[in-house]
Amino acid sequence: MKTAIAAYYPGSSLIHRFDPRAKLVAVAAFSVALFVRTSYWSLAVLGLACLTGFALSHVPPRWFWRGLRPILWLVAFTFVLQALFGPGELLVRLGPLDISREGVERAAYLSLRLIVLVVAGSLLTLTTPPVALTDGLAWLGRPLRKLHLPTEELALMVTIALRFIPTLLAELDTIMRAQRARGADFSRGGPLRRARALVPLLVPLFVSAFRRADELALAMEARCYLPGVRRTRLHPLAAGRRDFLLLLSVAAIVTLALAV
Amino acid sequence: MRDALSGEGGIAGGALTCEGVTFSYDEGRSRVQALDSVTFDQPAGCATALLGPTGSGKSTLLQVVRGLLDQQAGSVSLDGVTADDPRYEAVRRQVGLVFQMPELQLFAASAFEDVSFGPRQLGWPPLQVERAANAALASVGLPVERFARRHPHSLSGGEQRRLALAGVLAMRPRLLLLDEPFVGLDPRARRELVAVLATLRAEGAGFILATHDIDLAWQLCDSRLLLDDGRLVGAGPWAFGEGGEDELVAHRLCPPFFVALWERLGRPLAEAPRSAAEAAEALA
Repeated sequence: MKTAIAAYYPGSSLIHRFDPRAKLVAVAAFSVALFVRTSYWSLAVLGLACLTGFALSHVPPRWFWRGLRPILWLVAFTFVLQALFGPGELLVRLGPLDISREGVERAAYLSLRLIVLVVAGSLLTLTTPPVALTDGLAWLGRPLRKLHLPTEELALMVTIALRFIPTLLAELDTIMRAQRARGADFSRGGPLRRARALVPLLVPLFVSAFRRADELALAMEARCYLPGVRRTRLHPLAAGRRDFLLLLSVAAIVTLALAV
Repeated sequence: MRDALSGEGGIAGGALTCEGVTFSYDEGRSRVQALDSVTFDQPAGCATALLGPTGSGKSTLLQVVRGLLDQQAGSVSLDGVTADDPRYEAVRRQVGLVFQMPELQLFAASAFEDVSFGPRQLGWPPLQVERAANAALASVGLPVERFARRHPHSLSGGEQRRLALAGVLAMRPRLLLLDEPFVGLDPRARRELVAVLATLRAEGAGFILATHDIDLAWQLCDSRLLLDDGRLVGAGPWAFGEGGEDELVAHRLCPPFFVALWERLGRPLAEAPRSAAEAAEALA
């Protein structure tokens, strides 16, 4: 079963081989640049860089599309809102609605910016295994430990949550079949009836998820897991010259985007 | 217990015919063959053990018979009603399937609510729903006065398991399918469940019991189906003394304790007892 959440496309492209920390920093810098400077030229520079990364990743376009699809309605909504209510020189009049030239331009700009942002984010999640991603986040969050924030534990929580998505989906499938055997029907009736039909699914799913969480916590303790203790890693993160070059080129692109 | 169900008709009918049933799971890039042309007859009112090592296709077969999984080839018919009959869907719904660890599927706020879920989904009138739920609770040894209002999660593991069984019985199935009903029960809970099944058995209910517990299978069932790697390799009476015991061993199982004991004692296997009581009587 495929979910849009944290989908990872296995591969060995240049983008795949970058250190997750370098990729995280790159995408963060990229996103900030995208929002700090409002100009078509900087959007063009960043968009082009994004497309280059996309081409280098060897991930089929279909997979990016899957990430984009859910936000398209947001894009459309933004576009309509901006085009209708943005002030400026009159372009066309549709009945009681005035559409201004500035409004349309602004709408196009905002929509493109959103799309570039999502593609950049997908580039990160599609080419980085979830565990590497959380390891990278944990490493980058290390300075926050000085403020007594449990960054390692938060990263572990995210890793475990991701690990259990397929398990819970399989469980949901079993529960669904079991309740169907008892005559449950999940596709008939109006919204209220359908929402009510979910009770026989959700109650058992939550009960078993909590039971599982409890058991996992005990099992981890039995294997000597202690929160707040520095652990060693099976696959230590190792950044090399390649990652340095990535950060350097991203810095150059961001500088260019902010300058034009 | 007996009166509770017989007043409402109990489980009746349930002659099952599977013909060339084939099923494979879609595992992304490959297909995993779970059932390979399984053909057998289950007479009405017959108790059959479904045996086979883990992964041999027992659960898949039960889910196909219930109609939760659609076979890629072959046919399933119940009481002579075949797929081209307009009543087919309705008749297939009258196969009651108790899942593995069915207590995980309890969701309602009281035992009565949970048991009446099935009958209500069938659209029965309230009075009939109540009678069916009460009869089902009584038939699994959970007297209505003491258990109907209890929260399912406040019951013991064995009581939860029997409550889940009641949820299926309340729908008045023609045929009952049980998937590993004894897994994870302590000896007492197991004994209580065995008593419930023995009573259903005595009332003439037909069931197919998928289990790894060969001793209980032997005690409760008159015939067996033996699955290995998705193929049906044995069907019909147990045939101990006529090669049935070797057949079990050949398919990674072992004969029941009393059959092995009778073999050691050099007694005819065809007369092997099914329970300690029978053994004691034979040895006295």
